[in-house]
Amino acid sequence: MGENLNQATRKGFLVDSSRCIGCRACQVACKQWNKLPAEKTVNKGNIENPRDLTPVLYNRIKFIESVDGDKVSWKFFSERCLHCGEAGCIKVCPSPGALYRNSDGVVVFNKEKCISCKYCVSACPFNVPRYGEDDKVAKCDLCHSRITGGMVPACAKTCPTGCLTYGNRSALIAKAKAAKKTLYGETDLSGLGIVYAMDGSPEQFGLPATPSIPLSIFLWKDVIKPLGILGFWGSIGAMLLHYVTIGPKRIDDDDSDEKGVGHE
Amino acid sequence: MSKYVERFQTPERVLHWIVTVSFFTLLLSGLGLYSRLFTGYFNLFGGGVNAILVHKTAGVIFFISSISLFLKHLKDITKFDDDDREWFKTQGGYLSKGESHFNIGKYNPGQKIFAVYIGIATMILGTTGLFIWFPLFFPRWLVQLSLMTHGLMFVGSIMFVIVHIYLATIGNPGTIDAMLYGTVRRKWAMKHHPKWYKEVSGGE
Ligand code: HEM
Ligand code: SF4
Ligand code: SF4
Ligand code: SF4
Repeated sequence: MGENLNQATRKGFLVDSSRCIGCRACQVACKQWNKLPAEKTVNKGNIENPRDLTPVLYNRIKFIESVDGDKVSWKFFSERCLHCGEAGCIKVCPSPGALYRNSDGVVVFNKEKCISCKYCVSACPFNVPRYGEDDKVAKCDLCHSRITGGMVPACAKTCPTGCLTYGNRSALIAKAKAAKKTLYGETDLSGLGIVYAMDGSPEQFGLPATPSIPLSIFLWKDVIKPLGILGFWGSIGAMLLHYVTIGPKRIDDDDSDEKGVGHE
Repeated sequence: MSKYVERFQTPERVLHWIVTVSFFTLLLSGLGLYSRLFTGYFNLFGGGVNAILVHKTAGVIFFISSISLFLKHLKDITKFDDDDREWFKTQGGYLSKGESHFNIGKYNPGQKIFAVYIGIATMILGTTGLFIWFPLFFPRWLVQLSLMTHGLMFVGSIMFVIVHIYLATIGNPGTIDAMLYGTVRRKWAMKHHPKWYKEVSGGE
């Protein structure tokens, strides 16, 4: 896979969805720390707001509404970049340094290196990267600027209920397992950096049961690319081989500008 | 009687070289996008952003010129006759040293296949290229499929083009005259395209 990921020291989140109260303090904290402007949103007769990640919204709480008789209940899902252990976005990014894994095992980005090809949009199994007016990639970077300084990411720091906890990924998983939680993202894609403790099935939260890099992206990068390089050199080699073994089709011609008479 | 016979008129040769120059521009500007192994090629254009810009521009030029070339050749490349089938049986004599004779018209079957492939590949590369150009306006699955197909058609094209360049230059001495000067030696025509030669020399 070519990425250097140390599973033992990797940092991550445990998101315990049963603890989320839908206050959206995390959304606000993220905007504040990352200096992201507020956006106009639309009211669709539901308190979910905003309704999708945007170039200036790196995380959001998805409200999953269910009606049972006259009782309405919600499940809350913290939607964000999941910092995949095997990240489709890094796999396809052609510009070194635009998307990369930092020493905490977190998938971070550098807008200055981004060349706006938008391949990462297609390669992400969770449809996370967004593009704004600057035409550059934008997503959660797990507060790269905070965690490298030993601080807790803004959203986790703000979360009043302990739904979002930041720390050493393997320790978070061990703790959740001890508490008999059902986990999402422990092993898929070499483990997601954001692991969910879920009170429901992945599908209920709008997640694929077994997330994977899209098939055509896999074929493109892992099959066509290496075979193509082989095919390129193979073709050149075959032509050279033909030239020195079978040889060119020369024309018997006394006044030819070709030297010598062929063996045809 | 002149030693030479006309094979391509100037407009067709110019068109062929526009296709060729835009093809190699696409190749060089696309290499860095193909794999991070080739990131260095971005430097030829002053970085990835410019390489993408060049790739898009060259793509439009290649699409228009290559499709024009394809349409110009259409009637000569889409029909295969009995003489062509004969050619296929021994792969046009390219796999043996011995002298071979085929009654071939303007293009041999290998050339026809190449021209048809490039025509189809141009259409597919152009269409998928458009989806990749505006990925946010199309469904994700379509852009994903396009990225894969664009790469696949490119690989096919470069492999065909390598064979084409070989056969048009050192593999068949005298052939490149057709694209450089528009004329070929009569002996070349008699050997490689006798049926075509009979047509054009008979009318002279
Ligand atoms: C250095 C590069 C190239 C050279 C030296 C070259 C040379 C030639 C020559 C000499 C011919 C005429 C063959 C004949 O008279 O029978 C020809 C035909 C043709 N060329 Fe090229 N070519 C080059 C690159 C390309 C590229 C990049 C393409 C397309 C992507 C292309 C497409 C064609 C097509 C479609 C024909 C029509 C005949 C056929 O199908 O073989 N050429 N080329
Ligand atoms: S969720 Fe998407 S953007 Fe985030 S690391 Fe995984 S592939 Fe990359
Ligand atoms: S858009 Fe930017 S970050 Fe995304 S793959 Fe392209 S260069 Fe990398
Ligand atoms: S970790 Fe930082 S960047 Fe990511 S959602 Fe939380 S506050 Fe935003």
